Amino acid sequence: MTSRINRQRPFFLNLMAIRLPIGGIVSILHRASGAGLSLAVPVLLFLFSRSVRSPYYYDRVTGIFSHGLGWLIGLGLLWALLHHFLAGLRHLGFDFGLGESTEKARQTAWLAFGLAIALVSLVALASLMGGGA
Amino acid sequence: MRHVGGARRGLDMWLLQRASAIYMAAFLAVFLVLFLAAGPMDFMAWRGLFVPTAMKVGSLLFVAALLAHAWIGLREIFIDYVHFLVLRLGLYLAFGTLYLGCLVWTVDILWSVK
Repeated sequence: MTSRINRQRPFFLNLMAIRLPIGGIVSILHRASGAGLSLAVPVLLFLFSRSVRSPYYYDRVTGIFSHGLGWLIGLGLLWALLHHFLAGLRHLGFDFGLGESTEKARQTAWLAFGLAIALVSLVALASLMGGGA
Repeated sequence: MRHVGGARRGLDMWLLQRASAIYMAAFLAVFLVLFLAAGPMDFMAWRGLFVPTAMKVGSLLFVAALLAHAWIGLREIFIDYVHFLVLRLGLYLAFGTLYLGCLVWTVDILWSVK
């Protein structure tokens, strides 16, 4: 197997000069958001265990996400979840042979990318209006 | 380098990644409806969501799917970027242990809600 791989293949990794198509951007963000969420799982589980323990801890946990850095991290996690979810639905579509043409694939990539950002912006706006942050 | 495990392992992982994704999507949709139907959120309403046994079981399956999904996803990343085999296997084991611990912990968390 190994011997058939071209060892002299061109190697180009200038991140500032690479122009990734939208599908590539959505793909790398799918991976990055998945990695971030995976690392966050134990922390979120801890916060969940606190949130169902008593009214005091419930208020502590919701308080963390209501202002400042916690608010930003919460929105970041929400974006990661939404982007990963939407990009994942797109991949499930590919598995069933849906939207595989270049044009459709680009459209759904933009849709997943934009919808995740739009929904997070809505939540951010709603929490600001509701007196958060 | 020969792969560790059988040749069908990749396909099993691929399938489990899809199956766990579909279960999580379905559970989240149901959960969102129940969450919104519970009215204004406070401690009692939030806790109340997890009182029914069906919800405990559904949530536990959700966490199990999530942990399996996360482990397989991390495995993909390690295969791409961690080429030193001992370190890669160490990472599989470390996250496998952490996530198995999380699963057992989840049982304790959910069944302590009475």
